[in-house]
Amino acid sequence: MKSMIIIGNAGNRRTTGLQTARTRLGLPPAFVLNYRDLLQGRVSLSSCVQSLAHSFDEPPLLRIDAPGEHFEVERELIALGAPDADNMDMDERWLLHNKNVVHPISVRMAKRLQEMKGTLYHPSQWFRGYCKLLSRLDMEAAQLWSSPRWMNAPEDIAAMFDKRHTYQILSSAGLPVPRRLAAPVDIPDYDTLQEVMVKERTYRLFIKLATGSGACGVIAYQLNPATGSESAVTTIGVENFLRRPPMFYNVKKLKSYKERPIIRQIINWLLGHGAHVEQWIPKASYEDRTFDIRQLVVAGQACHSIVRASRTPITNLHLDSDRMSLQDIGMPDPLQAAIRQCAEQTLSVFPRSTVAGIDILLSSGSNRPYVLDVNPFGDLLYHSHYEGHEPYEWEMKWASSCTTI
Amino acid sequence: MSECKLSVDYDQYESGVKIVDLIEQLANNDERLQLESLIIGDWGGAYEHDSSEIVAALVRLKDRFPKLRSLFIGDMSYEECEVSWINQSNIGPILAAYPELTSLTIKGSTGLSLDPAQHDKLEELTIICGGLGKDVITSINEGSFNNLKKLELYLGVEEYGFDATLEDVLQLIEPGKFPQLTYLGLKDSEIQDEIAIAVANAPIVDQLHTLDLSMGTLTDEGAEALLNSEKIRKLKHLNLSYHYMSDEMMNRWKQSGLNVDISDQQDSDEDEDYRYPSLTE
Repeated sequence: MKSMIIIGNAGNRRTTGLQTARTRLGLPPAFVLNYRDLLQGRVSLSSCVQSLAHSFDEPPLLRIDAPGEHFEVERELIALGAPDADNMDMDERWLLHNKNVVHPISVRMAKRLQEMKGTLYHPSQWFRGYCKLLSRLDMEAAQLWSSPRWMNAPEDIAAMFDKRHTYQILSSAGLPVPRRLAAPVDIPDYDTLQEVMVKERTYRLFIKLATGSGACGVIAYQLNPATGSESAVTTIGVENFLRRPPMFYNVKKLKSYKERPIIRQIINWLLGHGAHVEQWIPKASYEDRTFDIRQLVVAGQACHSIVRASRTPITNLHLDSDRMSLQDIGMPDPLQAAIRQCAEQTLSVFPRSTVAGIDILLSSGSNRPYVLDVNPFGDLLYHSHYEGHEPYEWEMKWASSCTTI
Repeated sequence: MSECKLSVDYDQYESGVKIVDLIEQLANNDERLQLESLIIGDWGGAYEHDSSEIVAALVRLKDRFPKLRSLFIGDMSYEECEVSWINQSNIGPILAAYPELTSLTIKGSTGLSLDPAQHDKLEELTIICGGLGKDVITSINEGSFNNLKKLELYLGVEEYGFDATLEDVLQLIEPGKFPQLTYLGLKDSEIQDEIAIAVANAPIVDQLHTLDLSMGTLTDEGAEALLNSEKIRKLKHLNLSYHYMSDEMMNRWKQSGLNVDISDQQDSDEDEDYRYPSLTE
């Protein structure tokens, strides 16, 4: 139970962190299958396994890690999601909400994208490409092994990565989630959003890019029913040009928009690429900041947790928020237990997954836990220990002793 | 001190709980007899429902809270409601109904009035908001608070309702208006420099132990006037936290030997147009 393949970006913080953890535990290094090589056709899961066959005396542990923070990989995924890309067999269920990509770009255009830090290139086409890749990995693994040992099954990753899909799974399992304003199909644009808000008498919302991670593509949006004024707090910036389409990008410092034209433009862009729109539940506060909790769950058991406290509505932004522990903020034991239980129940509805970072808020006043997000790659947590182990060590320790996956 | 906070949280609001019912419940509970401090938090949809029902309920139930001395109406975070979107109402009837009250705090200035602005025992009056209207400033100014020891007003910005002039604000500190006043807070203002310059040598400073000009757009200009004032030197405490002063000016304060809070320096290189008070969202 010791060999392992990581599908990731070699040399980044995640891959390096995991390898270091393996070394510390006396485990052999994992073989890293690079997203870039995979996407550029240099290798495949099958070719990798064939070349390594002699070193596997049993099916290896398979871990798909985050593809992010690598421009070439991002560009390749957008190309893979292009309408004119090779259309391999894939299970359309994986693209439940992503059948139609808004303003798709061709493979050629995608491959010509230039890196500009912070740019949000094409989230919906990117996600389509990523799902195609996940589907391909899933099929290859199924051909290689009778029961592949995925830490997180590709299908689950696709579901967790799409907030619309996650919402459906969690809400039908009866887990506490913020109320959805309406089905995504019923909120195609800003004007409809306004109508639905008035009809539902719901004026404070989070609009989240369905396939964004972290603070990326999140708007804390409010409409004042009395005065009609609006407020949108977000990391999304936009630049408009005379002769080419506007460019949307991520900023590190939160922006607070009050002007309708720009709010409308950003919301339309977000809804176009696919968004999940949910009620803004006031979060519990610690001193003068409000907070939520990233609770890691490994193999059914809640372990590491981090409290993210912020003076802004978007707590997962690094710049404006503090990382604390549940002990730091004096969280009573019953509440800690409620958070752990909520996180464990959340992961349990993804039976083919063993690791996820669950974002949970406690509602202001009643302190009831609500699940905000399920992050399949939510285990990159610094300075966090559980029973003396940092997250990667904890996962590897568990995986090397486990015979069930 | 016996304190109670009532608020309607997300789950309660969804299930139709009303703040007035919570106040009624409290008024029928034995706890009421010992209650000294009452905090009214989010009353549910404060961006569309004003506080008038709360005021009416508290006035109606005034005899149920014999020991109530401190009242806060609108204690909610930005997560619950943006401060400029909190709909207040006329809080004046509270003053009349609770003659033993010593402390009143109000958060939110939209729809706020104080009529009649009169109370013989009130020691502390605090209004937290993104922009205080001239009408409220005038009410306080023309009202009567003989025993007021602490006056803390967030003045805010025009965009959120501050429509007074410097002269309107300065009427508040005319000699003899608040004979017991020892804490004066004229803060969170977009004209913090003008206020600092005007207050620096005002007679009222002689009676204060604390001057609070924090959270506004104070720059070296206003700070210079304060630093040069003999009156300011006699204060026990000067609060200038959240400011746009330069490093040089901060050093001068450090060397002044005064008990001054100069924490939370903002980026003073930014253009004047980009300087905002702290509580403006």
